[in-house]
Amino acid sequence: MLVFLLCIPCTWQRCCCAVAKDVEVDTPSNVESIQLEDRAGTLLNTFCISCHGEEVQEAGINLSNLLTIDEVKRQGLFERIREVVTLREMPPEQEEHPTNTERELLIQWLDQKLDGQFAKALSEKLKRFEYGNIIDHDELFSGKHATQAAYTEDRRWLISEFIFNEKINSLLNYEPTRTIYGKPYTVHGDSGVHWSPKTERGNKYRRTITNPYLLPQNTGVRYGAAPEITTGHLLTMLGNAKRVAAHMSSEATMKLHYPAMYAMMKPALDHREQIRKREEFLRNFSAMDRLLKDLYGNDHAKLLPKLIRQDIPYPGPPKHSSNGIQKRHDNLEFLGRFDQEDMRAILQGIATYKETPFEVKEDQSKARSDSKGTPVWAPYHQDEQDEFNRILLRCERDWFVEGVTPYRIENRLTTMKLFFDTWDLQKLYQHIEKGNFARQNATPLAATEMQAIRNTVKKHRSQGDSYSRIIEKSLHEWHSQFLNQHSQQGVEYDRQVRDTVIELHKKVFQRVPKPQELADTMDQLKLFHSKLDLQLAIGKLIESLVLSTEFSYRSEFGTETPDRHGRRMLSPRDASYALSYALTDSIPDETLRKAAQDDRLNTKADYEREIRRMLDRRDQWTIIDENVQAANLNASVTNQPIRKLRFFREFFGYPNAQEVFKDDSRFGAGRHEQAVSRLIDEADMLIEHILEEDQHVFEQLLTTEKFFVYHSGDNPTMTKGSRQLKQTFEYFSNMDWESWEPDDIEPHKEFMLTIWEFQKTRNHDNKSLLTTLKRLMPALVLHFSDGQDHALPYMKMPMGFWHGGNVLGRTGQQMRGEQVTTYWNLNWKTWDYPTEQPARIPNRKGILTHPAWLIAHSQNLETDPIHRGKWIREKLLSDSIPDVPITVDAVIPPNPQQTLRQRMEHKTGADYCWRCHQKMDPLGFPFESFDDFGRFRTVESLEHPENLIKEAKRDELNEFGASLAVYKTLPVDSRGVLTGTGDDSLDGEVSDAFDLIDRLAKSSRVRQSIIRHAFRYFLGRNETLSDSKTLIDADQAYLKSNGSFNEVVVSLLTSDSFIYRKPSREE
Amino acid sequence: MLINRRELIRSTALGSTSLALTPSFNHLMAEDAIPNEGPPHRFIFIRKSNGNLTKQFSLPSFSSEELKKHEEKEAFEVDLAKHELPEWLTGLNDFKEHMTILHGISMSVSGGGHYSYSGCMGAYKAGRDILNNIKWATIDFELSKLFPSPFGHVEMSLAVPHGRDHRTGIVSGYSAPAAKQRNYCYADPMTAYQELFKSVINADEASTDNSLLDYLHDQELSRLSGLNGIERRKISNQVDSLQSIRERTAKVASLNQVIRKHLPIMDPVHENGGPDATLPQKHAAFTDVIVAALASGLTNVVTYTIDDLGTDITSLPENEQKTSIHQIGHGGQIAGAEKMRNAIKTHHMKQIKTLVTQLQSIPEGSGSIFDNTTIIYMPETGAGHHSPDTEAPMVIMTGANSKIDIAGRYIRLPFHGTKGHKTLSNWYTTLLNAYGNPIEHYGDLDLTMQQRRLDQMGSIDRFISA
Repeated sequence: MLVFLLCIPCTWQRCCCAVAKDVEVDTPSNVESIQLEDRAGTLLNTFCISCHGEEVQEAGINLSNLLTIDEVKRQGLFERIREVVTLREMPPEQEEHPTNTERELLIQWLDQKLDGQFAKALSEKLKRFEYGNIIDHDELFSGKHATQAAYTEDRRWLISEFIFNEKINSLLNYEPTRTIYGKPYTVHGDSGVHWSPKTERGNKYRRTITNPYLLPQNTGVRYGAAPEITTGHLLTMLGNAKRVAAHMSSEATMKLHYPAMYAMMKPALDHREQIRKREEFLRNFSAMDRLLKDLYGNDHAKLLPKLIRQDIPYPGPPKHSSNGIQKRHDNLEFLGRFDQEDMRAILQGIATYKETPFEVKEDQSKARSDSKGTPVWAPYHQDEQDEFNRILLRCERDWFVEGVTPYRIENRLTTMKLFFDTWDLQKLYQHIEKGNFARQNATPLAATEMQAIRNTVKKHRSQGDSYSRIIEKSLHEWHSQFLNQHSQQGVEYDRQVRDTVIELHKKVFQRVPKPQELADTMDQLKLFHSKLDLQLAIGKLIESLVLSTEFSYRSEFGTETPDRHGRRMLSPRDASYALSYALTDSIPDETLRKAAQDDRLNTKADYEREIRRMLDRRDQWTIIDENVQAANLNASVTNQPIRKLRFFREFFGYPNAQEVFKDDSRFGAGRHEQAVSRLIDEADMLIEHILEEDQHVFEQLLTTEKFFVYHSGDNPTMTKGSRQLKQTFEYFSNMDWESWEPDDIEPHKEFMLTIWEFQKTRNHDNKSLLTTLKRLMPALVLHFSDGQDHALPYMKMPMGFWHGGNVLGRTGQQMRGEQVTTYWNLNWKTWDYPTEQPARIPNRKGILTHPAWLIAHSQNLETDPIHRGKWIREKLLSDSIPDVPITVDAVIPPNPQQTLRQRMEHKTGADYCWRCHQKMDPLGFPFESFDDFGRFRTVESLEHPENLIKEAKRDELNEFGASLAVYKTLPVDSRGVLTGTGDDSLDGEVSDAFDLIDRLAKSSRVRQSIIRHAFRYFLGRNETLSDSKTLIDADQAYLKSNGSFNEVVVSLLTSDSFIYRKPSREE
Repeated sequence: MLINRRELIRSTALGSTSLALTPSFNHLMAEDAIPNEGPPHRFIFIRKSNGNLTKQFSLPSFSSEELKKHEEKEAFEVDLAKHELPEWLTGLNDFKEHMTILHGISMSVSGGGHYSYSGCMGAYKAGRDILNNIKWATIDFELSKLFPSPFGHVEMSLAVPHGRDHRTGIVSGYSAPAAKQRNYCYADPMTAYQELFKSVINADEASTDNSLLDYLHDQELSRLSGLNGIERRKISNQVDSLQSIRERTAKVASLNQVIRKHLPIMDPVHENGGPDATLPQKHAAFTDVIVAALASGLTNVVTYTIDDLGTDITSLPENEQKTSIHQIGHGGQIAGAEKMRNAIKTHHMKQIKTLVTQLQSIPEGSGSIFDNTTIIYMPETGAGHHSPDTEAPMVIMTGANSKIDIAGRYIRLPFHGTKGHKTLSNWYTTLLNAYGNPIEHYGDLDLTMQQRRLDQMGSIDRFISA
């Protein structure tokens, strides 16, 4: 083995190389093992040994001693060689390279040498999406491999975080809604975190579910079939399953949704209802009191517990932190702050025992003043206090007898005395008088029930028992009686168990259990029931279903007879799920489910019919990103198939703009965190718009000069909102409104009340209208005094949180984040706002110049040319960047006198770094025309304390309305170099980002690269050469349809790669 | 979380990408892989709302010079043994040797405002409790990985955002087991009691849980037939996981003797979420549960949100005006807001005293469990109701075997944005480094420090015992 490596001196290498070149190279599959060994040796000698031999050992690697080193080290070395050869990281760019066939031959040999563990590790690594580009692009699209029969292996595919959310919502019967363009819709994609002050507040119970199926946060395709379930998933699901089971097996839920479960539980529930009614009757103080008097007559009072009164003083006047005392509290809304159970008892007590009219007056002769000398408070008259004390005593006695805990009694008495001294009792009395707070008499139950109650109460009442104690003892007896009577055997019981199991299977898995499965599950439910109360036992059964791998994995298996290539078509059921999950996060819709049931998912035409139908659906709304939505009342909803939109979100990675920690002071226009969420929302809108047009989609995404900036997507509404502002400005601009008094408003009132801002004034009185006018006009002067046609229709009123605004977002909430304009170098206060959007914005071209993308690919305080370049290299040019070597500590040295580019060139320009950085930096540098907030610039601020010219001042704003510190600057150098398009007319030096983008948009390689990523996204795996036809077909579909992405999707989802399956291979 | 990349690759076979994918709670099963020897170290994080006013953390016996330094936020230290404690803290007078008043740590990395949610435990800004803003596992979860236990990490909480309904049962928590994942927590003492000690107080349910695991195990085992390669592994992973969880429950069962020994007696007032229980009663019951959980080895790390802006404090005897924590935060609306702040803290200190004394009474090695315990009482949003977050005074109690050398001192560190200042990230890095995680820097970077080009990486070295 490898004798050649040991015996051939390095000086022979050129000679060997010549020999190697002369040898006819067979395709790897034809090469016998011994030949393979020889040829691999020759190739290693030819391409590797000069740098990794006895004399030179670059990176400490020596391939000349493979025979003598330890087996474990040898395996490690083989693994590294396999990796660098596969990833084309070696030989270095400037050195001579093996041909593709030679490279394959070497890989084949290395695979033979690698033992299981290393081979497996490498194989798993190569399944990751970030290694998808290692398949040679030109080979893939050459057509040479188009005859290979494409397929995907049979697989279970771990559900995504989004699918998990939909499944859980279904099990929890959580049907979130949003008001969209004024109409309520049920939406997908809500996990209960929704936050809005005015409308929905999410769902508290839903939030107790922890999502264990989270996808990685990287840019690019994130969701694939390779990940496996782990103990972590299971541990998280254990808790989730309990909460899901608690909901599903709750009485209310089973009544509504699970008839079989309800039927099985009926005896227990009936009993519970019977007991509940008895308890409700007994908990009514008047009813219990009367019952006991009836039962015990004069002895009743003797049996009562002896009242121990609590000594609680009156607190005196309401105190104030600086004024000594203050006036009485009179805002009854604050009653909500108190414990509501106690509050109900207090109001009921007063309503029950107040004998005189509900009136109270302060004794002004005893008025007291605050520290400023203003009389602010006086006690109520003594006779009123005397009556109040009588009420207190009677309440206290009742609560004591009832068995209310001492703390609650104390709390109630304290609160009542607080009301008397520090609240406007007159208002409180009126509230009680108007409300229905008096004690309600309980309706007696049926005679048999009343008898049962009487018997039990009589049996259990002891001297000194409170009413609560008597009730507890009675309840305990009734519960025990039921358990003793309940049977867990018999035909009827079996039938109920069977029906419940089937019902739950259908809900959780949307299928009927197989016979053996049914039998096993029935046994298990009976076993649970033998130890637990039936409801808990059913809950345990639900847990078992939710914890099953069938819940966690989607299933994609072939069925029926294999074709001549050994491939089988997806089973109709699996196909329906595969198609549905390709475009949505939900289980198949009714039509798709029916197609699978009726055997109408057996041909490509069947698939195409369903895909096109789903692509055309616009009646289903989905939340695009809950985080974007919650961050600033953004709409973030779409009625397009969510996964189509999500592909581009993840491909471009702009939502990660939220992840980059930025300082508000460097943003300079308020809260970056909120504003950036609008930015992302509007990037989503742009993608949605381009997908809706569905023409030249990739080119549009890369080169459009039109964007959404502070826009709802509703052009007429935004125009109307802006027009109202303009009308107001034109109406008042020549008037002397600044010196007006309220009466001056009268002649203009009719006009004013046609304008939203004035309509929202309290009472529409002249004073309020004038106040609003004086607040509004300075803003309108800024908006229109330079001859602007339109203004950004941001709500100028305070409390917009509640009022919404003169324009509303898509989901009917206030449009916030007007500061979003500053990312685009626009001042929202003076911008001649384009009401029709998307609209042309200067110095922008496509998503790569959208501030959201630029921020997502930036650092905390600086831009990030390396990652911007890396993104283009990997996502648009289908090229690979090697992992950062472990020996590299990638820190750009600080130098306050240089731009970031200059500092980077100093560091990454070194030979060792440049090998990789030449693939990234020249593509990233053109974007230095934008700072790390995505703002266009021609000079770079050297943000270092020693370069500070002027600190930021709040009232000193720059041209786009931001208050920023001023530093010394240097000109931006935005030149770069494009390589790797495979097109000489496009490759070469570029002057700036716009030049680079124009060239990228014209490149076939770029188009095909996006299609390769779409393949990974929709197929859930990396492409192989056998998928060549699938990719070529998708590319052609795009070209023939004038750049329709829908056609790409149809092509991919009807391809052999998607439809056909083969059993997974042994490892 | 910033971590030295080489360190990470060295310390994990998975590499960074795989680590990012690691789901939560995996560490629960990693007991055998952790090399810590001897008794575990325990951590109790007590989160409080409404901030800690800095002036309430000065010592009444400060000399005028010390007071000046305190007020001008200059760095200095004093020996607590030579000083009087503020009144609210006097409940811990007998424990000064274990106490630290730590001043000067900033929380700007997690931010001020009404709430910090998971932020104050993860040293990042959590925004409006948005899942995406959970950047990584919070400090408590990180520490629990160093000292594994059957429950790993336990969270208890009296958290109620102001104006919302009170919570009971198992609800969403504030700690985070991993990025984008929210922990659950016990919202009332009885639920915590029933869940943690189920193996001894509800044997039927515990045995049904086991039977559920056995059933699932058999079901998954039967799916393996005919599967190869990765598809086989996708199922066999679940089989193995079920097996290991089953073993874990057996381990918990083996602790039954110890659990019984430490099992607290719960007042029936806590039944059904404890609607009639007062706040001091809830505090006391939670304290008992925490002690028992730690003493019986069910967990080594507890995070306890002792109050939130909406936690009902009407049952505190001092609350004569029946005011709320939120209103106290806004101060001016009521008289005596600062007094109420002190009253609330006094109640909190009473619980810390109970924790310390009870843990001291449980022998471990040649000392007690408290010797191996750290209690951190911290505000979740800094030095006030909304802000500032540039300061966040804390009280820390450390046992004799603590690897953090701060006991017995009032320590004020350099102020935010100045040379030598330490952030919450530095403080958490210190805890991790001291107890065996060599991470270079845990938590976000402070942008003010970064902008001023001030060093802010790593642990507070002088705190780590030699």
